[in-house]
Amino acid sequence: MDKSKIRARLSSLSFSEKIKILERLRDRDQAIAASGLRKKAKPQRSGTTNRLND
Amino acid sequence: MKATLEAINQMQTDGVIGRYAIGGAVGATFYLEPAATLDVDIFVALPTAAGASLLTLAPIYDYLKTRGATVEDEHIVIGGWPVQFLPASDELELEALAEAVPTAVEDVGTWVMTAEHLAAIALRTGRPKDHNRVLQFIEQGAVDRKRLQLIIDRHKLTGKWKQFERRFLEGTHG
Repeated sequence: MDKSKIRARLSSLSFSEKIKILERLRDRDQAIAASGLRKKAKPQRSGTTNRLND
Repeated sequence: MKATLEAINQMQTDGVIGRYAIGGAVGATFYLEPAATLDVDIFVALPTAAGASLLTLAPIYDYLKTRGATVEDEHIVIGGWPVQFLPASDELELEALAEAVPTAVEDVGTWVMTAEHLAAIALRTGRPKDHNRVLQFIEQGAVDRKRLQLIIDRHKLTGKWKQFERRFLEGTHG
């Protein structure tokens, strides 16, 4: 299925169904943030610190 | 979200807020495919005491904190969702509230701004993610272009619209 068809299918869902998807996306984002995976994924140069990720 | 909206509706019943409407990314989700967001923007009409001219969110925060809600920076967490209350403070936002569309989330009644008002507010805000949202509305045919143009003209957003058109729409069909 191409992207435009997926978009059209998602757009046609009811607001309640879309909100459930938003909640799953939010929960996944929070789980990733809590696991620290985002920090680990960013390569650090030796001898420097990345203050943006602190 | 159901608990969030139930709490907001109760605030309305209790007279803490007047009319309200969901805006921002959650509002846009009513018309477009869901896009990840961490918070809910609620535009509100605040009841003002006679003679008072200052809009303050303090009554909302006081009301919710006594009912167990927690404050996180500019958000207040209700039913697991960080909510940002935004007092409708100009003609565009007041019009967006007045013309908001009634809908429901899991049988809980609520209001969402029209697609055209969401697009106009995003155009005015003008961050990259807002421009992206306006583009989505247009590319997916989710806005009535004539109605959007009337809102743009009425609220003096023509300059911003022309810049947006030059940058993102020139050479496309729309």
